[in-house]
Amino acid sequence: MESTTLAREPRPDPGAPAGKRRRLGGRFWALLPLVLLTLILGVFSAVDAKVFGLIGDNPPAPDELSFGAVQFKDDGIFVRVTNPQTEPLTIASVTVDGAIALFEVDGSPTMDRLDRRTIEIPFAWNAGEPYEIGVTSSTGVESVTSVAAAVPFEGIHPSGILGFALIGLLVGVIPVALGLMWLPGLRTLSQTALVGFMALTAGLLTFLALDALFEAFEQQALLPGALGGTGLILLGVAISFIGVAAFSDWLRGRERGSAGSATSPVAQLSAVPSGTALATAIAVGIGLHNLGEGLAIGTSFALGELALGSLLIVGFTVHNITEGLGIAVPLADATPTKTTLGRLAALALIAGLPAVAGAWIGGFVYSNLLATLFFAIAAGAAAQVVYEVSRLIGARSPGGWTSPVVGGGFLAGIAIMYVTSLIAG
Amino acid sequence: MAAASGSHSAHSAHGSSRPHDSLTEAAHAVHGSGAPVVAPADALDDLLYPPAPRPHRPGRKRSFTMVAQHREIEIVKGVKFDAWTYNGTVPGPILRVTEDDLLSVRFVNSTEHPHSIHFHGIHPADMDGVLEPVDPGQEFLYEFRARPAGVHPYHCHVPPLREHIQRGLYGALIVDPKEPRKPAQELVMVMNGFDTDKDGENNFYTVNGIAFFYAKYPIKVKRSQTVRIYLINMTEFDAVNSFHLHADFFRYQENGHPQNPWRHTDNVAQIQAERGVIEIDFAEPGMHMFHAHQTEFIELGWTGFFDVQDA
Repeated sequence: MESTTLAREPRPDPGAPAGKRRRLGGRFWALLPLVLLTLILGVFSAVDAKVFGLIGDNPPAPDELSFGAVQFKDDGIFVRVTNPQTEPLTIASVTVDGAIALFEVDGSPTMDRLDRRTIEIPFAWNAGEPYEIGVTSSTGVESVTSVAAAVPFEGIHPSGILGFALIGLLVGVIPVALGLMWLPGLRTLSQTALVGFMALTAGLLTFLALDALFEAFEQQALLPGALGGTGLILLGVAISFIGVAAFSDWLRGRERGSAGSATSPVAQLSAVPSGTALATAIAVGIGLHNLGEGLAIGTSFALGELALGSLLIVGFTVHNITEGLGIAVPLADATPTKTTLGRLAALALIAGLPAVAGAWIGGFVYSNLLATLFFAIAAGAAAQVVYEVSRLIGARSPGGWTSPVVGGGFLAGIAIMYVTSLIAG
Repeated sequence: MAAASGSHSAHSAHGSSRPHDSLTEAAHAVHGSGAPVVAPADALDDLLYPPAPRPHRPGRKRSFTMVAQHREIEIVKGVKFDAWTYNGTVPGPILRVTEDDLLSVRFVNSTEHPHSIHFHGIHPADMDGVLEPVDPGQEFLYEFRARPAGVHPYHCHVPPLREHIQRGLYGALIVDPKEPRKPAQELVMVMNGFDTDKDGENNFYTVNGIAFFYAKYPIKVKRSQTVRIYLINMTEFDAVNSFHLHADFFRYQENGHPQNPWRHTDNVAQIQAERGVIEIDFAEPGMHMFHAHQTEFIELGWTGFFDVQDA
């Protein structure tokens, strides 16, 4: 509280009577703006109609609602809706493909701001066909959502769990494991070539960060405005950036503590991350990205928007093999450290398994809000590991970004990601 | 209809059973007693049953008062619409006179917009409701000899015309011929639509203003006497509306003008402001469905039943 004092003279001893008064004064000045703000808002909300009246008529609420999941079940179509308006909104009529349909709402049809409801529509739908669901408010405003193809909603069922898990393994764990098999080859490289590969890793991760950020904005655009815009994404990015940084600090500390004098020389440069710690941090960042990727695959499939063609799976798998390479590079850098097979497997699982979890979440309990947050978190994590890798490059290659090996490696990393992403479409 | 007869490929695709009672219920919601209507059974009586015809007596003065009012109406259960009305309803009141009567309509505008009444038929050009918009708070006296015989629409003719019509300023004028038609069970049906969110497309279709009304409350008629319907189309946005009768045929006379021929059919189409007289001699008792034979309109409200009774 002392920091809020407005006095410029040297601060007196807080124990002295004069200091005590000053401290109370400090609290008074700290609270005064908040008290006044509350008062002013109170007065305004009592007379707001009069203030708006000075300008003209306050226009009526737009009364459009926002749609969540649309599920096709045996006894009909289930549609989740939210009221994003500041005023209450009442569901009055429902259409399927432009025809009025019987419906039930799980609760009052009048929704307060951000209230959610499920609308149940008994309807004999046809699997694989597109549908358009309209919901008309009591004021006659119709909101419409369309589904590319009706996919029977099965709930969480064993074959679905297995199917999504296999897809997750195929696009997540397997390519990362294959990429890690470059490790022995990388160990034979010269220091300069290895720095080039580090730059390549930085390029790969930069691509992933930007890709995830772009996805986050796409998902956020589907959210009702009331659920937050860029703030939500920035918060996700910042939390994961700081979180991954703290995690890799902790890993580094642990590595130094347990390995003692056997630690790689680079790790002893204390501030610069390296070796297993950096590889693990990168694996976590890639894992968070693969969570988002799995989420996207699961969701698109559940919404009937994605024909899971084998080419698409092949595309994702080829794309993700580069991620294994990214993890292997810092391991190769810490050559003296023996990397056990168990540790390699653990890294592959950290980076790849989240794709399975993502596919489950996307396929079974999808929400745009979750997707926005997940992609923001993936972007933050990837950005953090880019930062760490850059520091390592800085320490190992005094020539920095202008040296041909580093610049070329970085551009090659981005180019590889771009080209392989084209296969995935 | 889709709800009731939709294919069951989804059902067979994953081999589980579908509870059909909820689908039957859905069919009733569109076509029957479960229709989403909150108005009582007699809510539309004044717009369905015309007053009795009067004998031909040239020069007899028939006075009416029409008041333009803005009013919120309920088109289907829960959906409110800010309507512009004549005398509080959409469509407006049925005006019925006999050929050569002096039709005298005092029009009072108690809204915030200028309005008018434009009658279809033969009358002096300065009684046409086009160049004489009536300002808010003002009134106007339309007076002319009622002719020709038939059924005619009346509607507001103040720009923007599309808005003034789609918001509800229209209704039916019956001009009975000199030679009275033979007695019948007479009904008036004004077909219309409502664009509740102003996107230039109708969200609901009705006859006489309430969606699904005659599905919930079938029109009771006796099989022993001809049923005569004065049918008018005042639907905005859609080029055509139509009337189709189930399980029987009817005769149709364009405009209801006595000199126009009758044709036999079970389906007539009308463009906006087109109208005619339908006469049905029901062959069989029972529930006879009627609706627009544009299936889109059916499931957005334009459907109903005649409950034909042997009496």
